[in-house]
Amino acid sequence: MSAASPPTAKPLSLRGLAKHYATADGRVVEALLPIDLDIASGEFLVVVGPSGCGKSTMLNILAGLTPPSAGEARVGAAIVHGPDIDRGMVFQDYALFPWLDVISNVEFGLERKGIARRERRKVAMRYLEMVGLADFADKRPRELSGGMKQRVAIARAFATEPSIIFMDEPFGALDALTRRHLQHELLRIWQGHRKTVVFITHSVAEAIYLADRIVLMTARPGRIKTVMKVDLVHPRDPTSDKFREIERLIYADLDEELVKSFRMEGRN
Amino acid sequence: MRYQLGTLLRYLYAAIAVIGVWWAVVLIAKPHMSLLPSPLATAQTFIALLATGELERHAAYSVCRVLAAWSLAALVAVPLGFAMGRWQRLERVLDPVVELFRPISPLAWIPLAILWFGIDEGGKVFIIFIGTFFPILLNTIAGAKNIDPVLVHAGRILGCTDDASLFRKVVLPASLPQVIVGLRIAFGTGWAAIIAAELVAARSGLGYLISNGMEVLRSDLVLVGMVTIGILGVLFDAVFRWFDRRYNWMGE
Repeated sequence: MSAASPPTAKPLSLRGLAKHYATADGRVVEALLPIDLDIASGEFLVVVGPSGCGKSTMLNILAGLTPPSAGEARVGAAIVHGPDIDRGMVFQDYALFPWLDVISNVEFGLERKGIARRERRKVAMRYLEMVGLADFADKRPRELSGGMKQRVAIARAFATEPSIIFMDEPFGALDALTRRHLQHELLRIWQGHRKTVVFITHSVAEAIYLADRIVLMTARPGRIKTVMKVDLVHPRDPTSDKFREIERLIYADLDEELVKSFRMEGRN
Repeated sequence: MRYQLGTLLRYLYAAIAVIGVWWAVVLIAKPHMSLLPSPLATAQTFIALLATGELERHAAYSVCRVLAAWSLAALVAVPLGFAMGRWQRLERVLDPVVELFRPISPLAWIPLAILWFGIDEGGKVFIIFIGTFFPILLNTIAGAKNIDPVLVHAGRILGCTDDASLFRKVVLPASLPQVIVGLRIAFGTGWAAIIAAELVAARSGLGYLISNGMEVLRSDLVLVGMVTIGILGVLFDAVFRWFDRRYNWMGE
């Protein structure tokens, strides 16, 4: 399957990217302090941070769903201005279209790209096979379990052959076993397609299991606290000493942030 | 199929129970024919009116009036509902107007309708238009507003970059079940209001059949009119339910 898909991954660069909101009573809330970051073509980058650290905001800006307050994000050489089918996204709550059957969900983006009916059916089927759901092509999303829904969403995101895929806590709503299985699946698919992936999670273990590089964010207002390369070969063993060592380092940084964010909550 | 058979049986039980009570009252109280005829006498009148085609004619008048007014209302209220549901600014301007008119029963418009349109078709269509407009409008607004924002995000990410395609591919199908609910409720209120409109200002229709029956002391005509209203109401609702099952992605 990797031979069938051209090497389309693109690099991503963030320069002074920041976001603030004005509340109803006129106060300005800093959601994201200026961020500089370069993500290499084909890299699997995982962003970890406490709740409300602005990591989803950052992802929405990169995807073009929200405009930044300052700075810019570039995909290759082009500045991100709005959503583009060249940048895919997988959402935490799947975001499947409930009125479409499974295969039509996967076909949605292909149709928008102007691919003819028979061709897109073929492509969609190929991606459903990739996630092991070819037999469920004509089911409705509500007939599927959470894990299956997220596999459909992954197939839908990869089917349009984007150069970057954003994943916003995609496995956050799943049980531990399904989660483990899907992490493994995602790695297998990514290794076959080599898209640039920006993946957001709460789970430190998930980050270490998946990432080429981990970006640790601070409590609100969000900024980058540490960037850490993970040099372990896949498949990674969560019980190995090196894995545990990286985990220990991240938790040390993260604990500092959690204390801060708890203190802030206490003040509010 | 089994579900439909069960529904049919439930309606049959209801009909038998109503007729049973009705017959018991007639047998025990022995009211005068002009006050309460027996179910049998009513059935005979029903069949006689069917045979002359008079009942069909009155029913057709009522149905056509409701269909015309309801379609007109849908034509205006559905697009307006989507506009108000998706553009907050428009909703803020129009919402007070809607709230002001909404509590006024369509029946309260009957005097004005007669003054403005006489007792022609225009007046009745106007009254039903008022009665069907608000349920359609309010349900469409709710449907368009309550779309899960993540579905809109997904649509934009997957290539619906302009408002037109986003509407066609995401907003419309996502809110369709709620719009259908509005159309169904509106048809019910329209069907109830047409009878009232015809009671006071008509020379045809089931409402006229009923009011005329009262004036000539023929309660069997009144009852035939009422029974026909009930049967047609159930039939129309069945059509909407079928439509709902077919097009509602939310399932049972």
